[in-house]
Amino acid sequence: TRPDVHPLPPGTHLLFAQSGRIEHIPLEGYVMKKGDAKAVLHLPEKVIIGVAYDCVEKMVYWTEITSPSISKASIQGGEPIAVIRSDVDSPEGIAIDHLGRTMFWTDSMKDRIEVASLDGSQRRVIIDSDLVNPRAIITDPPNGNLYWADWNRDAPKIETSYMDGSNRRVLVKDDLGLPNGLTYDSQSSLLCWVDAGTHKMECTHPGHGDRRKIMEGLQYPFGITSFGKNIYYTDWRRDAVIAVDRHAGKELDEFQPQKRTKIYGIATAYAQCPSGQNYCAVN
Amino acid sequence: DATHGSSGDCQPCPCPAGATCAVVPKTREVVCTNCPAGTTGKRCELCDDGFFGDPLGQSGPVRACRACKCSDNIDPNAVGNCNRETGECLKCIHNTDGFFCDRCMEGFYGNALATNVADKCKPCSCSPLGTVGRQTGCSQVTGQCPCLPNVAERDCSACQPGFFNLQSAAGCERCNCNPIGSTN
Repeated sequence: TRPDVHPLPPGTHLLFAQSGRIEHIPLEGYVMKKGDAKAVLHLPEKVIIGVAYDCVEKMVYWTEITSPSISKASIQGGEPIAVIRSDVDSPEGIAIDHLGRTMFWTDSMKDRIEVASLDGSQRRVIIDSDLVNPRAIITDPPNGNLYWADWNRDAPKIETSYMDGSNRRVLVKDDLGLPNGLTYDSQSSLLCWVDAGTHKMECTHPGHGDRRKIMEGLQYPFGITSFGKNIYYTDWRRDAVIAVDRHAGKELDEFQPQKRTKIYGIATAYAQCPSGQNYCAVN
Repeated sequence: DATHGSSGDCQPCPCPAGATCAVVPKTREVVCTNCPAGTTGKRCELCDDGFFGDPLGQSGPVRACRACKCSDNIDPNAVGNCNRETGECLKCIHNTDGFFCDRCMEGFYGNALATNVADKCKPCSCSPLGTVGRQTGCSQVTGQCPCLPNVAERDCSACQPGFFNLQSAAGCERCNCNPIGSTN
């Protein structure tokens, strides 16, 4: 084990990136155990943007922009391993398909979406057109869907496609500003986002065309993740992780690390993988 | 290591005032854990994302961390807008380019520093038929494209008066009209 990787105890956690480290907050039920928050990984020279979690191998994946790359490390303690080091300019969002054993990421300078196996092999560009500022990306492995957001100030949008990039469609394009964060909850089939332009948190059932506002008046949301009835998001102005009850549309709690600096990506590290079969195994 | 019981066991953190530190057990390396606002790195020697400087003066005089200076040609919602040490702008917008996003991108002309976005950098849009070697670049300031012989206009889209056949893509030819009997 590597000394700057602190193993996590079992249970569900939040993982988030702040100033060269990945920190975690244990969850007790839905409540953030703020007193037990601590760094999982110290990478003091890096600027970490996106964070994702593979519930099968219990690994955290992150994107980093100072020496643009994607790396992973076991949250049970282990050496960080670089998986993508070449031909990336500004990797931002990252998502794991824990069933298909692949990862997806957005690159805001190459303006494309790529996929690769979790070891970085079998890499392929799946979307390379009509992207201006792609950032958030999220998977729905049981149904084989991919969702991403582009905060292009002239035409922000939330899009979806199959996991090979086919069947691409725009899901949301009206009344968006800067949709920085996206999350999908497989239990409720809800796709939710935070927008730093409209200052809202909203949700939709993809394919149903419904859309509802969960909260407004957010300050500067960046990342978002869901766990059951709760949504947790990071905020650049509050330098905090904020817990929101999705049903009540109400802020429940806030965690503000001692260090006052921007918090970027956030992910839920599930104690167990969400149930569900690979759609390919079903078809 | 305070368990040894000698006077030199606990040493001050090699970090700026107020920062705490920790020893990485395996490598015995000391890492600052709570750097002052705006700084980061093992010794708080780096600036946070969106800022640049040399807070410890590691490669010259001390330069406090300042927000990226990119001529208002970066987007505050972007990440990695400038190099954290040199300040070189990495994500210029509005078709600008250069260390400080202070000039137009190749293929664009105008004033990168104009306050109004519409007055910043416009595409050269050189006419392929009238431009030398079908170039897409133009003068950064005037926007003049390099025209073939006897071709006129900023974008080389017309023949000079008294010339014709822009379509040849080799410059325009003299009309050779008899001045007596021709109008214009």
